Amino acid sequence: MGRIVVCIKGVPKPGTVKVDKETHTLRRESAELILNPPDRPALEVALRLKDQTNFEVIAISMGPPNMVPLLQKVYALGVDDIYLISDRAFAGSDTLATSRILAKALSLLSPFDLVVMGARSIDGETGQVPPETASLLNLPSITYVKELRFVDGKFIAIREDDFGEEEVEFSPAAVVSIVPEIDYVRPPSLKRLLSLKEITPKILTNAELNLDEASIGLSGSPTQVADVFEKTLVSRGEIFEGEPDELAEKLIEVLKEKGFLA
Amino acid sequence: MAECIFAFGQCFEGKLHPASLEILTPLREVADRLNKRLILIGLADDKEKFLAIPELKKLLADEVWYIIHPNLKHLPDDLCERVLVYLASEHKPYGIFFPATKKGLSVAPRVAGSLQAGLCAHVNAFEVKNGNLFLLRPTYGENIIAKLTSQRLPIMATLALNAFPIKEAEKEPLIKELKHPEGFDWSTKLTIKNFKPPKKEPSRLSVAKVVVAGGMGLKSKENFQMLFELAKILKAEVGGTRPAVHAGWVEADRMIGVSGVSVRPKLYLAFGISGAIQHTVGMEGSEFIVSINIDKEAPMMKMAHIGFVCDAPSFLKALLRKLKAKD
Repeated sequence: MGRIVVCIKGVPKPGTVKVDKETHTLRRESAELILNPPDRPALEVALRLKDQTNFEVIAISMGPPNMVPLLQKVYALGVDDIYLISDRAFAGSDTLATSRILAKALSLLSPFDLVVMGARSIDGETGQVPPETASLLNLPSITYVKELRFVDGKFIAIREDDFGEEEVEFSPAAVVSIVPEIDYVRPPSLKRLLSLKEITPKILTNAELNLDEASIGLSGSPTQVADVFEKTLVSRGEIFEGEPDELAEKLIEVLKEKGFLA
Repeated sequence: MAECIFAFGQCFEGKLHPASLEILTPLREVADRLNKRLILIGLADDKEKFLAIPELKKLLADEVWYIIHPNLKHLPDDLCERVLVYLASEHKPYGIFFPATKKGLSVAPRVAGSLQAGLCAHVNAFEVKNGNLFLLRPTYGENIIAKLTSQRLPIMATLALNAFPIKEAEKEPLIKELKHPEGFDWSTKLTIKNFKPPKKEPSRLSVAKVVVAGGMGLKSKENFQMLFELAKILKAEVGGTRPAVHAGWVEADRMIGVSGVSVRPKLYLAFGISGAIQHTVGMEGSEFIVSINIDKEAPMMKMAHIGFVCDAPSFLKALLRKLKAKD
């Protein structure tokens, strides 16, 4: 039986984000966390492989302790085990430091056949962690995967590229990132939902990972925020109020005047 | 040491991706200010096809270095990483920059991981101060721009698409082939079994003269669909905000903003778009902006040359009814 590890992320619910004034990083402990939406199809892809080929699926997440309820919900979808990678020392990590932490955690879970992640997180939006983690583990990475199959001991992925669509074959182990184009995701299992309180994630702190503190967190991150500034907007135009009909008429007038309408 | 800057020149079958030309525009300026040589790195499988790329002689780069190997045909991510990391360790560049194409976003993090370098994403402006390079990118939903530095060399970033105009040089760059040493590992763990060119025409959004765009203020997919009717009448392209795309109202290739397309049309109509910075960086170059929004204080209303305080779906319905009546 092979093993698939799915890396998931809790992202602040849009609108609840706060930025730390000193470090200019996101304050995740204060935000309400939701599962990063592209991670849902990533989980589905892993669970379909499990249905098909009897892979064991483990979900891991790096984040603060308030990730636990999210991991429990993911357990209810049908994964076999959940892990939380959590330590104050990890806070403020950029994509390189994050990838170091994930790579180390994954190596503790090896041997595995596949690591699955969402193509990008909706808060950071970089999409860098899957290929960067793969590079640190010296594994191939296959990004923007739309479809994934396991045939005769090999994976076959359909992925989007800039000049077309590729069908790529590769042997385990590898890291894939999934684009959220999947038609159906399964609901949680009722039976599992009822037993959630007994399921707690295994915790991996830096005591287990044993990474040099200079290589993680804020101090292990080469990318530093020098400054943040707000864009200030000064109203520059004319504002009209009124009924839809009269406003629409006004717009048509303007568009004709400017030559956008005959 | 650290006297050159690498720019990734992404090519496929004798075509250079336009985004690789775009990134040379700001990098030319950075290289001049910091007194570095700007080098476009091209990886390809066919020397003749590569050298026949028409833009090559007009590149803003000082030099073009190209590496030819049959395995580079589809630019496999792992092999691209190995080739670029080798070049970086040989030449110790000050910076390595990629366009934010799918290939750029896939290869750059591998190179950064290997080199233990910082990597900034979606950079859309640079600043040079006292000999230091700062990278600017919009961030986190709020109206905030982050100014980033890297504590280590090389400085690495992926540069936003359509954020910079393509310019041509007057002087031809020096073009030379680099040979990797005997015994260099040209293998890749990825086997391309099949390759299909894109089924549908790429969206013409980025070059459209008129753009009609919608956000969550349109309230439903059905309402959003009305934008396509309006687009037909105005000979426009349809765009959407990130939340509208995530809601499934419009396809991802029509997303305008940081992780989508940048547009600079003559006319931009924003229906129910509040104006989060992720979106506005992708359209702030528009010549004339019209905003329809129920919230008078929304940032988009402030950016607009004309703002209509109105429920966006009701406005759109009224507008279509009137335009159709005139036909």
